[in-house]
Amino acid sequence: MGLQDEATDGAVVRAVLAGDVERYAELVRRYRDRYARYAARMLGSVDAAEDAVQDAFIRAYDELARCREPDNFAGWFFLILRNRCFAERRRGKRFAGNDLVDVEARAIATSDRPDVLVEAKEQRQALQRALLTLTPEQREVFVLKHVEGLSYEEIACRIGGSVPSLKMRMHRAYDRLRVHLRDRI
Amino acid sequence: MTRYHPLVKRLLDGESRLAELPPELQAEGAEALRLLAVADRTPVSLPAALDARVMTAVRAGGRSPSARLWRWIFEPRELRFRVRPWVVGPALAAAAALVVLLNRSPAPRRGGSTAVVAPESALVRFVFYAPAATRVAIAGTFNQWDQSAAPLVRAGKEGVWTVTLVLPRGQYQYAFVVDGRRWVPDPAAPAVDDGFGRRNSLIAVGGGGRAL
Amino acid sequence: MPLVLLAALPVRLTAQQAVTARLDGRVPPAVAAAVRGLTDSAVARGLPAGPLVDKAIEGAAKGVAPERVLVAVRLVLTQLDVADGAIRGGGIGAPDAETIEAGAFAVAAGLSGSEIRDLVKVSVPPYTPAATLRVAGTLAAMGVPPSATLKLIRETVRSGGATADLQRLPGSVQAQMARGQTPAQAAAGLARATAARGSPPGGPKTGKGSGNPHRP
Repeated sequence: MGLQDEATDGAVVRAVLAGDVERYAELVRRYRDRYARYAARMLGSVDAAEDAVQDAFIRAYDELARCREPDNFAGWFFLILRNRCFAERRRGKRFAGNDLVDVEARAIATSDRPDVLVEAKEQRQALQRALLTLTPEQREVFVLKHVEGLSYEEIACRIGGSVPSLKMRMHRAYDRLRVHLRDRI
Repeated sequence: MTRYHPLVKRLLDGESRLAELPPELQAEGAEALRLLAVADRTPVSLPAALDARVMTAVRAGGRSPSARLWRWIFEPRELRFRVRPWVVGPALAAAAALVVLLNRSPAPRRGGSTAVVAPESALVRFVFYAPAATRVAIAGTFNQWDQSAAPLVRAGKEGVWTVTLVLPRGQYQYAFVVDGRRWVPDPAAPAVDDGFGRRNSLIAVGGGGRAL
Repeated sequence: MPLVLLAALPVRLTAQQAVTARLDGRVPPAVAAAVRGLTDSAVARGLPAGPLVDKAIEGAAKGVAPERVLVAVRLVLTQLDVADGAIRGGGIGAPDAETIEAGAFAVAAGLSGSEIRDLVKVSVPPYTPAATLRVAGTLAAMGVPPSATLKLIRETVRSGGATADLQRLPGSVQAQMARGQTPAQAAAGLARATAARGSPPGGPKTGKGSGNPHRP
C-alpha cells in the first residue's frame, strides 16, 4: 500500500492503461477532494459537485488513453470536471443551496454572536446566488481567483487564455455582481 | 453607477490597496472589498463512498449509472434500518449485502450486560453493479473460492446482479468474479490485501458471545 | 521422548491427511507438496494450518502463478507467527487456533504486533481476544488508524456494554463514513461519545498490567 501511495500520477496512469484497473482507485482517492470546492461553487451545491466529480472520474477513465501527459493527470482531470460543470449549468439546473444553509446553521449554533453570523450567512448566500447569474466563464474566473486563491497567471495555465482576456472577463463579472448585490452587501 | 471604477477593479484584483485609492473612490472601494470578504471559501470534502461508486462503474466499463440506482444500492440508511445488532458486518452497513436473520438461539439469555441473541446463520444478500457483464459469481472463504458455486442473477435491466447465501456466523473474505475472469472486490465493503496484488472484501456474520 | 513422538504422530498424520484432502484437485500437485511442507512447519510450531491451505486454494482459484501462490502462503505463515507471539505477549500462554487466526487477520489488515498485544490485554470478559482482534482488523481494513482503533476499542470495553457493542463498531464507523467523515474522524467521534457515556459501576475494567483472565 505504502509504495502504491507514493507512485506518481504518471506511473499509476500507465499501470491502469496496462490493465491494472484497480490502481485507478488511487487517482480517485488522491483527487476526490482537490477540485470539490471549485465544483461546488460552480454548481451551487455540494450534492451537484459530488455528481460532477463522480462523472468526471468515470469520463476520465474512459478517455485515459488520450491523457497525453500522464504526470499531469490532475490538470487533465480538472479540464474534464470543468467541462462537466459547464455542461451542467448550460442545461439550466437550478441552484440548490440547502447544504450551504446546513453548514451555516451549525456555525450559528456554536457562535457567541449569532446576529453577526446570520448576516454573514445571508451575504454569503446572496453572493453565491449572484455568482450563478454569471456566465460559467465569468463565474469560473471569480471562483478560481477569489475562492481558490489563484493568480491570473495560474488561472491562465490551468484553463488556457491570456491574462488580459481573463482580466476582462473578471471585470465584467465584478460589474454584474455589483448590480445583483446592490444594497445587500 | 452600475460599474466599478477601473481603479476599484484593480483593487479587487489585488493590484492596489484601498489606501491608494483617491478619496472619492474610498467608499466604492470599501463596498467592493466586502464582496470578496463574503466569498465562501469553506473547504468541501466529498464522501469516501464516491470512490467505490466510481470504481464499480469503471470496472463495469465506465458507464455512468443513474443517481437513483446508486442511491438504491448505496444508501446506507436503508440498511441501517434493516440490519440489526444480531448481525453486524461492515459490508452490510455499506449496503452491498443485506442480511436477514435465519435462526436464533431459542431465547435471548438475560444476564445484565452480557445478554445476547446468537444466530447460528444468516441469509446474506449480495448486490453488485455490472451492466456490461454477461455473468457474475461470488467466491470466497465460505465456498472454497469456487466461482461455480454461487452465481449471481440479474435483477431487472439496470445492470444489478444479486444472490442470497446462507452463511454460518463467522468472518469471511470474498470477491465477485465477472465473466469468469476478473476478480473484483465489493466496492461497498472494507477490504484487505489478498497477497496476490488484489483485494478481498470482508463480511462478518456475527452474534453475541464469541463471534463477530 | 520417543514415546511423546509416537503419541504425537497419529495427530500429525491426521492433520496432514486433512490438508492433502483439501488441496487435492484444487491446487497443482507441485504447489500442494510445497504447501504441505509449510503446514507441517506451522503445526510443529503450534500454529493452525487452515489459513495456509485456504490461501493456496484461493490463489489457485484466482489463476495465480504457482510461485506467487507460495509467496502468499509464506506471508500468511509469517502473519500467524507474528500474531502468535503478540498474543502470548498479551498474556495468553497457549492461544487457540481461533485467536491466532484472528490475530493474523489483524496483522494482514495493518496492525502491528505491539498493537495486537495491547488489544489482547484490553480484552477482558465478556470480550474475547479473538472477537476484539477481528473487530480491530476490520476497523483497520476500513482505514481507521491503529491508534484510533485501539482508543475506540478501549473506550468500548471500559464502558462495560454487551459484546454486541464491540461488534457494532465497524457498522457504526461505516455509517459515519457514509456521512462524509474520514475513518479517523468517525472512530474518534465514536470513542468520544462512548467515553462521555462513562463506565457503569462494577463494569469491566481494562485490566492494565494485571495479566490476562483468558490465560488458560
